[in-house]
Amino acid sequence: MENAGLRQRKIPLRRRLGRHKDALIAAVILVPMFLVWLVVSGFPTLFGFVLGFFEWVGLADTPNFIWFDNFISFFQNPVYTDALWRSIWLGGLVTVITLGAGFFAALLMNMPLFGKGFYRSIWYIPAITATVATTQVFNIFLDSNNGVINNILKALGKEPIVWQYSVGWGIFWIVVYSVWKGVGGAALIWLAGLQSVDLALYEAAEIDGAGRWNKLRYVTLPGLKPIATYIVITNLIAAIQIYEQVLFITNGGPYGQTEVLVFRIYRDGFWDFNLGMAGASSLIMALIVIVVTVLYYNWSTKSDRRTTIPLKPVKSAGKEALPHAQSTKR
Amino acid sequence: MPSPLNAKVSKQFKPVHLLGHIVLLGVGIILLYPLIFMVLAGFFTKTEFSSTVLGIFPIPKAPTLENFKALIAGSTDAAVATYMKNSLIRTVYNTFWAILTSFLAGYVFARLRFKGRDALFLILLATQMIPGTLAIIPTYLEFARFPFAGGNDVFTGGTGILNSWWVYFIGGPSINIMGTFLVKQSLEKVALEIDEAAIVDGAGTIRLIFQILFPLQLPIMAFIAITTALGTWNDFITPFFYTTSDHLQTLPAAITRISSVGASPGAVINYPMIITLSLGITIPALLIFAFFQKYIVQGLANTGIKG
Repeated sequence: MENAGLRQRKIPLRRRLGRHKDALIAAVILVPMFLVWLVVSGFPTLFGFVLGFFEWVGLADTPNFIWFDNFISFFQNPVYTDALWRSIWLGGLVTVITLGAGFFAALLMNMPLFGKGFYRSIWYIPAITATVATTQVFNIFLDSNNGVINNILKALGKEPIVWQYSVGWGIFWIVVYSVWKGVGGAALIWLAGLQSVDLALYEAAEIDGAGRWNKLRYVTLPGLKPIATYIVITNLIAAIQIYEQVLFITNGGPYGQTEVLVFRIYRDGFWDFNLGMAGASSLIMALIVIVVTVLYYNWSTKSDRRTTIPLKPVKSAGKEALPHAQSTKR
Repeated sequence: MPSPLNAKVSKQFKPVHLLGHIVLLGVGIILLYPLIFMVLAGFFTKTEFSSTVLGIFPIPKAPTLENFKALIAGSTDAAVATYMKNSLIRTVYNTFWAILTSFLAGYVFARLRFKGRDALFLILLATQMIPGTLAIIPTYLEFARFPFAGGNDVFTGGTGILNSWWVYFIGGPSINIMGTFLVKQSLEKVALEIDEAAIVDGAGTIRLIFQILFPLQLPIMAFIAITTALGTWNDFITPFFYTTSDHLQTLPAAITRISSVGASPGAVINYPMIITLSLGITIPALLIFAFFQKYIVQGLANTGIKG
C-alpha cells in the first residue's frame, strides 16, 4: 500500500490528472446524451422487442403475456403474410429499378458534359421534398373526377381509369413514386463511386486495347464494389420499409391489397389498437432487416477479397488528409 | 474532374454526349414536373382550381398570390401560419442539437482515450441496424404512460406527454449516431499536432473543441445540419402520431390530417389547401438545397464511400 502511494506521488500531478481527464470529459459529454437516448430510443426499442409477446388491445387494456401466439397468428393469417411478401418483392423491385436507372444516369453524369452540376441538382431535388406533399401532387394526377391523367385520356378519346379500384395500378404508382424520389440520390452516390475509381486503371486498360464496354466490365464495375455494398444495403432496407407512399397514394386499398407490412403495423397500432400484433410485426420486420444487412455484408466482404482494385483516396470535404494524420489511435 | 483522359475526350464531339444531354435534361424535367405543377397550381384561387379541367400545365385565368401570402400571414380556413411556425421551431431546435451532440460525441470518440471506447462505438453503430419502425408504437405507449406527466399518477390516469410540446423537445439532446460517426471519421483526419499546439498555447478543452476543431469541420457539420433540418422539416410522423391539438401541428402533419388518410371517409379532399401547405413545405426546402447543395453532394459521396 505504502509503495503504491509513493509511486503515485512521484508522478507529476498534471499527468496523474491527465490520465483520468479523458474519461471524465467523455463522461460529462456522453452521459447526458445517453440518458436522453435511453428514453427516446433505447427503451422504446427494447420495449418493441417484447411487445409482440403480449396480448394488448387498446391503451387502457392490461397487457397479457401470451408467448408466441401473436407470431403464430402472424404466419397463419394471409393478411400478414401477404403484406410481408409484398414488402419484400415491392422493396426489391423499387431497389432494382432505382439503382439501375441511377447507375445509368451516373454513367451519363460522369461524362464531361456542359452543365453537369445543373443536371445533378435537378435529379436530386425530388429526394429533398416531403413525401406527404409530393404524394398529394400524385393524387391530383390520379384523381378519378378531375385527375390530370384522366383528363388527358379523355381528351384523347380514351376511357378514364379509376386508379383507386385497381391493385396493379396502385402498385404501379407506388413504384413510380418511389423511383421518382430515389433515383437522383442513387445517381449521386454511384457517381461518387465512379469518380473514386483510379483513372490510371482506365489508361492502362486503354493501352491494353479495351473498348468502352470492356473498361466498364473490367475496371469500373470491380472498382465500384465497396460503394455497391453500401448503396444496395441502404436502398433495400429503406425500400422494404416503404409505407408513407402506400399510406398517401393508395391507403392500402383496394380492400387492403396494396398493404405492405409497415403499413399494416401502422394500421394495427393506430387504428385497431392491436398493440401486441403491431409489436409482433415490427419485430419480424426488424429481424428481416437485420438478417438482410448481415447476409449481404458478409457476402460482399467475402467477395471483396477476390477483387482488389485500388481506390484512389477520396477527396473528402475539400481537405486533403495530412500524411501523418491517418492513424486512428492516439 | 480534370484529367488527361477527360481532357482528351472533351475536345472531340461524340454522339454519346448528345445522348447524355438529351437523357439528363429530358428525364430531369420529368422529375421536376410534379413540383412545377405544384407551383402552377399555387396561383389558382380555390374556386377556379375546383372548376378547371386540369391539364398538363394548369394556367389560371386570374392568377392570385393569396396562397403564398397565407403561408406568412395566415389564412382564414386553417392556422397555416401556426403550422409554419411550429415546423420552424422544431427544425431549428433539432438542427441545433444535432450539430452540438454530433460534434461533441464525435470529438469524444475520435480524440479521447478511455476504457471501452471502441466497443461502445461499435454498439452504437450496431443499433443503427434496428429499423425505426420497431419503436413507433412503443414510443407512443411510453409517451402515453410517461411517469407523473400530463395527469399520470406514476403511469396511468392521464395522457402522459402525448399531445404536448414535450413530444417535440424531449429527443433533442439525444446522441445523433450517424452524425457522431461522420464527425469521428472527419476529425481523425485532422492532425493531432493541432490539438497539442493549442494545448501548449494554453487552450482548454472547451476552447479547443469550439474554437480550433469545430471551424475545421464546417463542411461535414453543414451536411449534418442540412440533413437534420430537411428530415425534421419534412417529418409528419412525430406530430401526426403523437399529437392531436391543432396548435401543435406542423405543415406535413396538417396535410396528413386533411388528406385522404386523416379526413373523414367520403369527404371531398380540399386540394387547394393541400397545395398551399405543400408549397409551404417545398419552397423552403428547395431554398435550403439551393444554398447548400455543395455540402449535400459532398456529404452524400462521403457517407457512401466511407460507410
